[in-house]
Amino acid sequence: MKQTKILFILFLLVEVGISFGQSKEVKIRVDGLSCPFCAYGLEKKLNDIKGAENINIDFENGLVTMNIAGEKNINKKEIKDKVKEAGFTPIKVEILDFPKSSENPKQ
Amino acid sequence: MKSINILMIISLLLIAGCLNESSNVEWKFFKKIKLDNISPTGIAIQHNFIWLSDVKNNRVVKTDLSGNFIEEYSNIKRPMHISIFNSKIFIPEYLTDKLKVISESKIDSILLKEKPNAPSGVSLNDSLIAIADFYNHRIILQGKNKITIIGKEGHNKGELYYPTDVVLINDKIYVADAYNNRVQVFDLEGKSLQIIGEKDCINVAAGIELTDKYIFVTDFEGNRILIYNLEGILIKILINNLDKPIDISFNNKLLLVLNYGNKSISMYNNNL
Repeated sequence: MKQTKILFILFLLVEVGISFGQSKEVKIRVDGLSCPFCAYGLEKKLNDIKGAENINIDFENGLVTMNIAGEKNINKKEIKDKVKEAGFTPIKVEILDFPKSSENPKQ
Repeated sequence: MKSINILMIISLLLIAGCLNESSNVEWKFFKKIKLDNISPTGIAIQHNFIWLSDVKNNRVVKTDLSGNFIEEYSNIKRPMHISIFNSKIFIPEYLTDKLKVISESKIDSILLKEKPNAPSGVSLNDSLIAIADFYNHRIILQGKNKITIIGKEGHNKGELYYPTDVVLINDKIYVADAYNNRVQVFDLEGKSLQIIGEKDCINVAAGIELTDKYIFVTDFEGNRILIYNLEGILIKILINNLDKPIDISFNNKLLLVLNYGNKSISMYNNNL
């Protein structure tokens, strides 16, 4: 019985680790961020992606960074579609595993 | 060879046509106000005060005519072109698709019966609200019992392409048809009446302001202000002291141009 409890607790810890420990960082390079209607429109469209947070727009360098929280399986196509919806042509999209325990250095 | 010369002359005339600054109306630049810690996207004059949208910091700021801070209203999600009517400040909230209003120091939301996608500009009269609906390429005209949709995506007469600002005046709707690089005028039923500035090399017609005599248009990427009479004839171009002009406001004899690029207000007066 004791072993079962320990196993159950271990199972819970592992589950918690998966749920809260996984996050992805997305980097998107686009042209034409000088227009605020377009740039904040891109933010608005990316905000529609489930789990999207910490969307940051670097106007000068044409770089957008964001995190996708939780276990969401995001793919490049979904992000590229949102970029196109906002009226931009995505130049480059990178998706990196980003353990949330280490926290976003920008925060 | 002769045809090349003719082509060159035509090209030079076209270029000169885009840059020419001529008029008997004087608009004198007299002051630039630097805006600290503000990413400005909207401006409106109210008596001796200036209201500004600060898009990056999610707030609307009130200053005096020298740019000195008076008060702010925060938690407004990406405010864009603002408008004043009956002493109230109307603010399209770009991120949430809402219309906010500041009245007697309180912020409220106004019910929009037709939901916009990224509202970028607003204008009102006693019975109507006009909203520039950026991603739907249209103007929503909301009356008490009627919604009129004006324009659809496109580049022809009656069509819009990413409209960013709107002015409702004298039963006409003037639209900053931003990425069609022109102003388009509609009646209240949505019929296109007039296209202005199509041949004036505007590069993103971002902001618009009207008086009883003039139409002012900000050329965002071209760093110019184009001033037309109500017949749509270009009478003046301002080219100095501008950096990505995004919005414009006029009150009595004072013309304020909001520069998104260097975060400033360029002030002009005139001899009208």
